[in-house]
Amino acid sequence: MTPDPHDRRSLRTDFCGLAFDTPLVLLSGCVGFGEEYTRIEGFSNRDAGAICLKGTTLHPRLGNDPPRVRETPSGMLNSIGLQNPGARAVIDEILPRLDFSETRFIANLSGSTVEEYADLARCFDDSPIDAIEINISCPNVRAGGVAFGNDPEMSQRVVEVCRKETSKPLIIKLSPNQTDIASNARGCIEAGADALAVVNTFMGMAIDVESRKPLLGAGQGGLSGPAIKPMALLKVHQVYRVAKPHGIPIIGQGGIVSAEDALEFMIAGASAVGIGTALFYDPLVCVRINEGLVDYLKRHRIDGIDRIVGTLESKDR
Amino acid sequence: MSAKIDRQHRDSIAVEDCEIIANEAWPGNQWRLRLRSSTIAARALPGSFVHLRCDPELPMRRPMSLMRAEAGVIEMLYKEVGHGTRLLAGKKPGENLNLIGPIGRGFTPVPERPFNLLIGGGVGIPPIFFFAHHLQRNPPPGSDADSILVLLGSELPFPFATRPAQTPVPGAVQDPTLIDGAAMRDLDEKAIASRLASRSGFEGCHFGHVGDLARLWLDGLDRTWRDRVAIHACGPLAMLEACVALAHQYDLPCRISLEESMACAVGGCAGCTVRIRKGTGVTMQRVCVDGPVFDGRCVVFQSELRNEDASPTNSSPLVDKTL
Repeated sequence: MTPDPHDRRSLRTDFCGLAFDTPLVLLSGCVGFGEEYTRIEGFSNRDAGAICLKGTTLHPRLGNDPPRVRETPSGMLNSIGLQNPGARAVIDEILPRLDFSETRFIANLSGSTVEEYADLARCFDDSPIDAIEINISCPNVRAGGVAFGNDPEMSQRVVEVCRKETSKPLIIKLSPNQTDIASNARGCIEAGADALAVVNTFMGMAIDVESRKPLLGAGQGGLSGPAIKPMALLKVHQVYRVAKPHGIPIIGQGGIVSAEDALEFMIAGASAVGIGTALFYDPLVCVRINEGLVDYLKRHRIDGIDRIVGTLESKDR
Repeated sequence: MSAKIDRQHRDSIAVEDCEIIANEAWPGNQWRLRLRSSTIAARALPGSFVHLRCDPELPMRRPMSLMRAEAGVIEMLYKEVGHGTRLLAGKKPGENLNLIGPIGRGFTPVPERPFNLLIGGGVGIPPIFFFAHHLQRNPPPGSDADSILVLLGSELPFPFATRPAQTPVPGAVQDPTLIDGAAMRDLDEKAIASRLASRSGFEGCHFGHVGDLARLWLDGLDRTWRDRVAIHACGPLAMLEACVALAHQYDLPCRISLEESMACAVGGCAGCTVRIRKGTGVTMQRVCVDGPVFDGRCVVFQSELRNEDASPTNSSPLVDKTL
């Protein structure tokens, strides 16, 4: 009997107690507030295990000046600057319009002070959201964001105060723009993180040589896409070594565009994988990756995707 | 959940592989691209656009407005300006391009304004051309066969055939270009009045900006005539600002189609947002799905931003909840 190619049962996974239909997580900032990509014929929120909503702050933000996006070799720079309508509007007007039977929805929260992070966590704790991702790695804001994420003590304080405010799964999105991501990850785990997202964008810039001006309105931005994949993969590998003993799962992310990329991250230690920039190139990329994962498991006679997490073999074996 | 969930937006944008019928070079590194399309061609409306993969090696797509969409064919105009469009210019008939579309809210007639003044500049000409044809086929209430005037500007040679105009410009016309200047052949043959402007000194064209030509025409109209007019424009920002200034001066409605760097084109990334006045505040709207056509008199141009405090304020009534 030929197996059904649409049978994705082998992709189901448990992430911090949340049932994911597939290990794919649509990344914050790429898919708005969860409904935008459903405009595309053939796209379904059900093709992702979870969707991280657009970065949300306590108060509304207009975001940065244009241009906000720029193509670079094998990737892109963005400097959106956390444009969002503010926590209250997200909870009162956006969450009620989401269909929570389709996928798990994760809020992505960003504060400019430790207190703001706590306020945000408290607001979303009292909402139907499935989990909370703490963004201490946004490279495109002046206060908070990556400034907190690159300071291990501040990172820990943010996690501690959020932990006190919510019993929902708490995911900490780490910045790659720091010297020792593994020790920062350890600090976040000790402060109460349930999971880690590894990694946010790498800071970068591009210049118009004719005008000698930066090509992004904000001067600099975050680099994403295949260009960062090998670097992101190494960060996941490094963080996995400190997270594994605590049983803390990782959402691996950075330039994943294919099932093979996703498998690399999972073998390196990610329990779930983030899809972001790849959607801009191929809005139906999730269908393709899910099929590729099912096919891989079948070829290797593995009955569940979680069996491959952290199965990196050492070179000399 | 008690709230009524609106799902009308779902499945409104198609993903389609389109075969290249022609990829035609025009002077000034301008190209006209014709593609075979079933779904996008059938759904496209004037002012809507497609998000096109110029080459499988590029991580980002390029937004392009449609010049026409009929009988299983869509046509676009692009200028070779960078790496992506350079790769696109190398594509040959028979090859496939991946498109998503049609996207966005395009041009529509303004109620109580039966006469449509359409202004296009450079690579902003395509949606204007599309809209002119659409208006002729679907005349708004109160409009006549000659209720359209198309004014086009370009500093590069026009990327289409021109000819001495045979279709007269409606209204009280005195300027020589408006009387018997050059016209876009395609429009002129269909009895849609068009005239051209350029500072490059092309024969039969008004010497100056297309906005100046629009002003000459508006100046010749009496008040009653002018009160029937709406402006629709697409082109470079400076041209759009000039059109909005004209609209203010003559108190006319003015719809403009905007362009911005774009990543997703479905409203997900907020890469293409612009500032739009709403009441006493400013809202951020996405060019891709909230536009690309906006009420020109509500658009906050970058030149205005430089003169005021452009920093984000927490008190601004930011309303970006339309998905």
